[in-house]
Amino acid sequence: MNEREAEIVIVEDNPYDAELVTRVLQKHGLADKSSVFKDGVEALDFLLAPGSSADKSGRRGPKVILLDLKLPKMDGIEVLRRLKSDERTRTIPVVALTSSSEQRDIKAAYELGVNSYVTKPIEFSRVAGIVGDLVKYWLQVNQLPSG
Amino acid sequence: MLEAAFPVSESADLNQRLRTLEETQRATLNLLEDFDEEKAKLTRLQQATLNLLEDFDEERRNSQLIQKATVNLLEDMHEEQGKLADTQRALMNMLEDIEAERAEVGQAKSLLETVNKELEAFSYSVSHDLRAPLRAISGFVEALLEDCAPRLDAEGRRYLGLIQDNAHQMGQLIDDLLAFSRLSRQEMNETRIDMGGLARAVFDDLARLTPERQLALRVGSVPPAQGDPSLVRQVLVNLLANAIKFTKTKAQASVEFGYLPALGGGAYYVKDNGVGFDMQYVNKLFGVFQRLHAVTEFEGTGVGLALVQRIITRHRGQVWAEGAVGQGATFYFTLPKGEAG
Repeated sequence: MNEREAEIVIVEDNPYDAELVTRVLQKHGLADKSSVFKDGVEALDFLLAPGSSADKSGRRGPKVILLDLKLPKMDGIEVLRRLKSDERTRTIPVVALTSSSEQRDIKAAYELGVNSYVTKPIEFSRVAGIVGDLVKYWLQVNQLPSG
Repeated sequence: MLEAAFPVSESADLNQRLRTLEETQRATLNLLEDFDEEKAKLTRLQQATLNLLEDFDEERRNSQLIQKATVNLLEDMHEEQGKLADTQRALMNMLEDIEAERAEVGQAKSLLETVNKELEAFSYSVSHDLRAPLRAISGFVEALLEDCAPRLDAEGRRYLGLIQDNAHQMGQLIDDLLAFSRLSRQEMNETRIDMGGLARAVFDDLARLTPERQLALRVGSVPPAQGDPSLVRQVLVNLLANAIKFTKTKAQASVEFGYLPALGGGAYYVKDNGVGFDMQYVNKLFGVFQRLHAVTEFEGTGVGLALVQRIITRHRGQVWAEGAVGQGATFYFTLPKGEAG
């Protein structure tokens, strides 16, 4: 798959979580529209690289970023800060999809302009349901600014 | 007689001398008289002097007394000064002790802050890291069931179900423990709480989760309390959920929320007619992870009542329980009285 065409960007360091989420996307026929990055630096390199959505070359960027908060190298909160403070990525919806339901994470994420905050339940059947609902909402229901 | 003894010239002279003598005598008498007077004066003066001396003596005695009193006073003062110095020294020692104590308290406080921070970091890490492997277990068991179920026999599928259930149970334990540790750290914002209204709202939310059961809450006359609304809500959620849970074997569940003004200075209670418990185990009820029933009988992690106790204790209140096997349970708790207005 061409990463540049990804409609769903997943930033997830845990390979098992990444695999299971991809499995859910496969079931919805969306696996080929998603890209997984295993840390924040990789994700930012992709999103802010020349030729990406950000260079306004007419190519459309992802419709949603599913961002884990506890990440190696650069944590999810910092990735979120950079995404929301850069005018090239500011309008891309970011969903914090994380294990933590700690208030300080939720507060920090919203203060930085996260578009949604979702806690991953432990039961995977529920995670699958949530991820299914999320991608359906952001890809099919939600309206994004054009151009 | 004198005239006869002397001649006339002589007699004139004699007369003269006699007169002179008389005059002298008179003068002497006068003098004597004057002297008498002087003597009287002198006597008076003497008397006055004596009086004066007497007065002076008294004055002297007085003065001596004063002097003695002054000396005593000075002695007393000296003693007082000694005492004052002692007091001052004691005060200094106390101040030093207080200073030492303050340093100790300061140290304990910073230690507590460190421990709290560590605890926070620990629970933060638990929150993030402990759940991920469980999700993986749950996820891959599910994948296995979906993809490979036809190749497994009934026993194999049962085992996978058990793995799933246990992962779920452990997830619940982690969540409850995290909630417990969060509650211990959470800052409290106390305000007036309408306890009756809150109990009804909580009960209605809980009753919606089991629509197949006919549940109703009887609420007596309950006064408002003073406390943190979200924490007190959690107390009612846990107690009322327990009442609903432990009456599920009864055809007619009865749950009551009330207030006894005479009990422990005023106690709220949640009473049910459920399975109850043996009073022998009453002390175990509020311990973390303590359960009186098998998980297969009544679900739960054993954190709920520990949470209730933690919250009530943080509100300077008390919680206790009464019950009998098969005859229901009553949980009592006290909270600060709701302030007017």
